[in-house]
Amino acid sequence: MNNNSFSRIKAIAKKEVVEFSRDWRTIIAIIIIPLLMFPLLFIMFPLLMESEAAELDSLEVKVIVQSEFLPETLIQEINSSNIDLTFENTSIDSPLSSPGDDIQRLRSSSTDAILRIEQREDIWYYAIIHISTSERSSEARSRLLTGMLNWEDNETSRRISDQGLDVNSTLDPLRWDGDISSADVATQGEQAGMILSLFIPLVLAVWTFSSAIQPSIDMTAGERERGTLEALLSLPCTRKELLFGKWLAVATITGIGVILQVCGLLFAIGYLASSSVIGVPELSVPAIFLIICSIMLFAIMVVALELALAMRSHSVKEAGSILGPAIILIIFPALFTQVINLDGIENFWFAMPVVNVLLALRELLMGRVIIEHIAIWFATSLAYALLAAYYAAKQFSREDIVTSLS
Amino acid sequence: MAKTLMSITNVSKNFGDIEALREVNLDIRSGEVVGLVGSNGAGKTTLLRLMSGVYAPSTGSICLEDGTPVAKMRQRLGVVPESTGLYSRLTAWENIRYHSRMHGVSDQDSWKRTSRFAEHLDMLDSLGRHTKGFSRGMKQKTALLRALAHGPSVLLLDEPTAGLDITSARTVRALVKQLRDEGGTVVYSTHQLSEAEQVCDRIIIIHNGGIQADGSPNDLLKQTQTTNLEEAYVSLTQEKARPREEDSKKDGRFTRWWRRISTPKIPKFEIKEVLESE
Repeated sequence: MNNNSFSRIKAIAKKEVVEFSRDWRTIIAIIIIPLLMFPLLFIMFPLLMESEAAELDSLEVKVIVQSEFLPETLIQEINSSNIDLTFENTSIDSPLSSPGDDIQRLRSSSTDAILRIEQREDIWYYAIIHISTSERSSEARSRLLTGMLNWEDNETSRRISDQGLDVNSTLDPLRWDGDISSADVATQGEQAGMILSLFIPLVLAVWTFSSAIQPSIDMTAGERERGTLEALLSLPCTRKELLFGKWLAVATITGIGVILQVCGLLFAIGYLASSSVIGVPELSVPAIFLIICSIMLFAIMVVALELALAMRSHSVKEAGSILGPAIILIIFPALFTQVINLDGIENFWFAMPVVNVLLALRELLMGRVIIEHIAIWFATSLAYALLAAYYAAKQFSREDIVTSLS
Repeated sequence: MAKTLMSITNVSKNFGDIEALREVNLDIRSGEVVGLVGSNGAGKTTLLRLMSGVYAPSTGSICLEDGTPVAKMRQRLGVVPESTGLYSRLTAWENIRYHSRMHGVSDQDSWKRTSRFAEHLDMLDSLGRHTKGFSRGMKQKTALLRALAHGPSVLLLDEPTAGLDITSARTVRALVKQLRDEGGTVVYSTHQLSEAEQVCDRIIIIHNGGIQADGSPNDLLKQTQTTNLEEAYVSLTQEKARPREEDSKKDGRFTRWWRRISTPKIPKFEIKEVLESE
């Protein structure tokens, strides 16, 4: 490739990026959404959950207690959790968990739950009739259970004590000595790496593929449909230069999206780390270099493949129909990769397309730099990337790409 | 005699089983405006695409005067395809500059030439506007400016006045005449004989993939012993015109099957009833 060739590739890539970024919707899709996705997911979502939980806590739930007799201590336990109790002194036919006519009372929301309890000799039998799809009803059940389990603990202790036994040694004969977390020799960084390795590879793979779909289609089938390709093909540039230029543009746009998404992810992790929810992974310089390398190889393959498939299509609609469902080719391997055990993993996994890069990312995020695995995934990823590039070059060399539906 | 700029020798072009062009021999000489006239599907666009290097000939060769294949010397050509091929999110000047850069021409030189022609076409004030809102005429003028910005030896125009209003079509024709007066070479495809007569020094009639006639308007009248070009055209193209086949790529077996089962049949009895009621 000479200087003219490089300047033409640069001109193609620059024009594509400029044209693509002129649409404000594109800016939202490639900058705002990737940047805000994880902070919103990791920061706003827990905040929303907390606020909803607080709202639920402050609710007073209505419970009907059906029992001929209830111990005073149990009533006190239940009453302490903001429950409006109504007592019905009725006897229930066994089993207690059979709702009977009380279904209507729950469905009409005249009560949130019904506690049935009766004593048979030394044992108390109970059932809580509720609707699991109603949040109020589930909350009422949860509060009743908490109160009743507290009462059960006290009752158990009382009975053990009445028999002249030591409550602690009887109930807790096996105990951990010292701090549980200090017995784990994995550092906080390694633990964080393991947690992140379960979803960062998935996110990177899916986002790389999905964010390249729109620009790939726009720059190939889109050009073909709009009739701009013929003018471009009559210019003094080769089809390979055209492919490289467009590949560079799609890779740049996708790269920006992925980098921004990782930035958003790191910000969210940093926020969570400050709240001690998750640590920051410890990564060596070679591991970081290899992570970048694996993503690059994956991006080369994915973008070339998407450009090729989009260029094969006669219209934007056809290209969308092919590339949209093709994301399954990434999602399924990505999900399988999550359940593959990395300890003692067989080498062939590192030669499988898509799976190899995802496994490599998992290993590297956990700080495992295994030369044998690296050699396999690097060589096979490079081969897949070259194959995809060759296929794309073949599609770009077709004569019929000049014909447009318009 | 003017020197030959482009030689088309024994060129045929096939798309699968379809013979789009057969045994075309043609010389494009310096300073002439050559009109390619023919019906839809005759092979005009295929010939222009071969001349611009977008298609490679199945047989034969298309070379410039020094013997270089045209595909390797595309910087000497200016091409305006039928669809104009403008990017709607770029301004007119950005469209022009993009093509000039691909031709290896500096922005400064490109601007000099563009502004000169833009003034003639009354487009100077519109160069900074996005082409999305352009009328068909403005798009055509922009595409012309784009094709001229790098100073090509040969300008290839595919139906440049199709769909234009009378004023815009007149402006385009005036520009072509001006280029000829300045010594430029233009290949101009059209299916309007009157237009070819007005603009072209030489008319090539293409029919069903072959050249039926090649000469000045007067030569064609003499050859056919007719009094006007329309009669001349009719006498030269008596064989029934074939349908446009160049773009009709063969669909796969599954695609054909699926289309057949998903397309409802024409309700014949209803047509019969309608005809009877009429």
